[in-house]
Amino acid sequence: MKTVTFALASTVAAACPAMPAQAQDYGTFEGYTLRVKLIGGAQYEPLYALIPQWEEATGAKVEILSRKSHFELDREMKQDIAAGNIGYCVFSSHTNFAPQYTAMNQPLDDLIPAEVLEAFSPLVIEHSTVDGELVELPRHSDVSNMFYVKSLYEDAENKAKFKERFGYDLTPPETWDQASDQAIFFADPPDRYGTHFAGKDEAIAGRFLEMLVANGGRLLNDDWTPAFNGPEGQEALNWFVKLYQDKAVPAGTTNYVWDDLGLGFAAGSVAYDLDWAGWAAYFNSPDSNVQGDVGVALAPKGSGGKRSGWSGSHSFSMTKSCDNKDAAASFMMFLTSHDAQMIEARAGLLPTRSKVWDDVTAEFEADGNDFMVEVFEVWGESMRDHAFTPPLVAEWGEISNALWPQLQAAILGDKTTEEALNTAAEEVTEIMEDAGRI
Amino acid sequence: MARLRRFIRDNAVPLALLSPAVLVILLVVLLPLIFSFYTSFSNYRLIRPDSLWDFVAFRNYARVLGDGEFWSALWRTVLFLTFALNLEMLLGLGLALLVNRITWGQRTMRTIMMFPMMFSPILVGFQFKYMFNDTIGVVNNALQSLGLAQEAIPFLVDRWLAFASILFAEIWMSTAIFAILILAGLFAMPRDPVEAAKVDGCNNWQVFRHITLPFLMPFIYIAMTIRSLDVARAYDIVDVMTGGGPAGRTELLWTLIARTAYDDARMGRANAMAYVSILLSIFFTWFFFRKLMAARKHLGAF
Repeated sequence: MKTVTFALASTVAAACPAMPAQAQDYGTFEGYTLRVKLIGGAQYEPLYALIPQWEEATGAKVEILSRKSHFELDREMKQDIAAGNIGYCVFSSHTNFAPQYTAMNQPLDDLIPAEVLEAFSPLVIEHSTVDGELVELPRHSDVSNMFYVKSLYEDAENKAKFKERFGYDLTPPETWDQASDQAIFFADPPDRYGTHFAGKDEAIAGRFLEMLVANGGRLLNDDWTPAFNGPEGQEALNWFVKLYQDKAVPAGTTNYVWDDLGLGFAAGSVAYDLDWAGWAAYFNSPDSNVQGDVGVALAPKGSGGKRSGWSGSHSFSMTKSCDNKDAAASFMMFLTSHDAQMIEARAGLLPTRSKVWDDVTAEFEADGNDFMVEVFEVWGESMRDHAFTPPLVAEWGEISNALWPQLQAAILGDKTTEEALNTAAEEVTEIMEDAGRI
Repeated sequence: MARLRRFIRDNAVPLALLSPAVLVILLVVLLPLIFSFYTSFSNYRLIRPDSLWDFVAFRNYARVLGDGEFWSALWRTVLFLTFALNLEMLLGLGLALLVNRITWGQRTMRTIMMFPMMFSPILVGFQFKYMFNDTIGVVNNALQSLGLAQEAIPFLVDRWLAFASILFAEIWMSTAIFAILILAGLFAMPRDPVEAAKVDGCNNWQVFRHITLPFLMPFIYIAMTIRSLDVARAYDIVDVMTGGGPAGRTELLWTLIARTAYDDARMGRANAMAYVSILLSIFFTWFFFRKLMAARKHLGAF
């Protein structure tokens, strides 16, 4: 019932969006048409319902040239840069991708007032800064933490059997080793698996990166040579290999993408799922098989004693060639305003403004939505204390593409972890040489 | 020189009429080809436009030719082509022969046969991706429900099953091309030699082997040429179903080239790969045209 009330409140909020235009003066750009390229998809679209308000407040028009998934948009940006065809002002970016767009990124330091920036979480602003310049205004953040099926962890028989087999109490995992034990313990294929992971593209490269860092390792040395193929990297990769070979994860997990994880957990096919908070409301909705049975916990720690916290923020950036930078800045501030972020936060997306964290949590408390309060507490701590990005270099995408096929090769048993990581390291060395860094 | 001037003068009108078409081809085809050929000798990266002028001579080619993943993708593409073309040809031939025997509802049958060709390859890819999925796929569910399998079969993960799955999708979509072209051949075939052979006492197999098939061979080679070019640049279905993975197990040339060019933004290296792979297409085109000519000679067309 709580969830239904929450869903209703969210729907009302989306249908009658707040009025950020009235809270701040966004300037007047009468007759101007602002051309933009925005990320599309169910999670991102509700915010764009606010655009007519900005148009009304400023007298400008917004022309959306592209509305695509982030990976498609990324390809389009690269082609725009190559063709020199950058006839628009604002585009959706991401902290992990922003360094690639150096050729078109307009530094924002002088365009966004300091008092606006002060309202954002300092760590998120730091992640949006490349080579000392602010290149994007963060919209919402992403970091993965643990969703688990509470009843499995609270079951007395499971507790007893687990303790007998592994010698410690069954509680949500505090370390990656415990997470491995628990995935193996809960696996009962093909009805249920311990967990699953997105096994291709940047998804697995990023997950490997955060475990590597949690184990005390690093992706690159100071001289830009690869550092991930040491013992910390092998330990991280062995985690995936062990779970795959012990059939604690579905055989097809190497082909899974993010959506497969959320849908799989909601279907009740895994005991725990490391995922972003954007799924939280859905997991606890009537559409989910685990409604009312979802627990949340911080992502586990690695052998280095650090918690995983691979993070990034979806953002808005401005092009250098923009013909009306004030209008573009106004538009970006409007879409990242307090009230705009409240709309996304109500759906579980992590805000980048400090005050929105407090306000949305207060709203959940007032609604009696304890689950979302807990989600925001856990993800809030994660963003505050444990979040980190991949190295903010243009080559991250290429490094990720060199890594993931090799990670898969080790997981599927085609190569040993050492061989796989050494092959990836050779490719990364070549990438960094071509980029002129080595 | 004088001969050239005379040639231009004598053919001024046809040359003038042809010149716009030639100019368009130069602009639309030749210039991009020259540009991409140049970039294959450069360190051109999409995200750094100035890298276009970073000339690296044969470095991209040397790296591509020494890259095990590239050769694996190339040979996998050749294997894919070989299986896809032969199986499509056999199935298409069978379909055409069966449809040719139908006396009632043949037009409807021909239309139904062409349905798979009407789908976008991306949709076909999604359709088979979900059908072969290891947890929610209908194939696995059916096998388990019928008691033919106890656990999920990882169709899109296992090295050979994944290859077979993308092959199945490709064949499902394109067998009709062979069937339609072969059916056209069957319609055009004169009846006299067949009837004469039957009068002479040939059985059905002998008629098919020595009269029908030789007559159909030019049609089969035309279909093979068209399809070899199509399959050699197979991308959509593979990209959707497996993305070339896992661990490069289903990597074909164009999934590798597209990732290098657009995701990695390494256009110079990707173009070097593309130029090496074009040799593959040229080889198959040359091979099938040679076969086509031989088949036509055999028929006494020349």
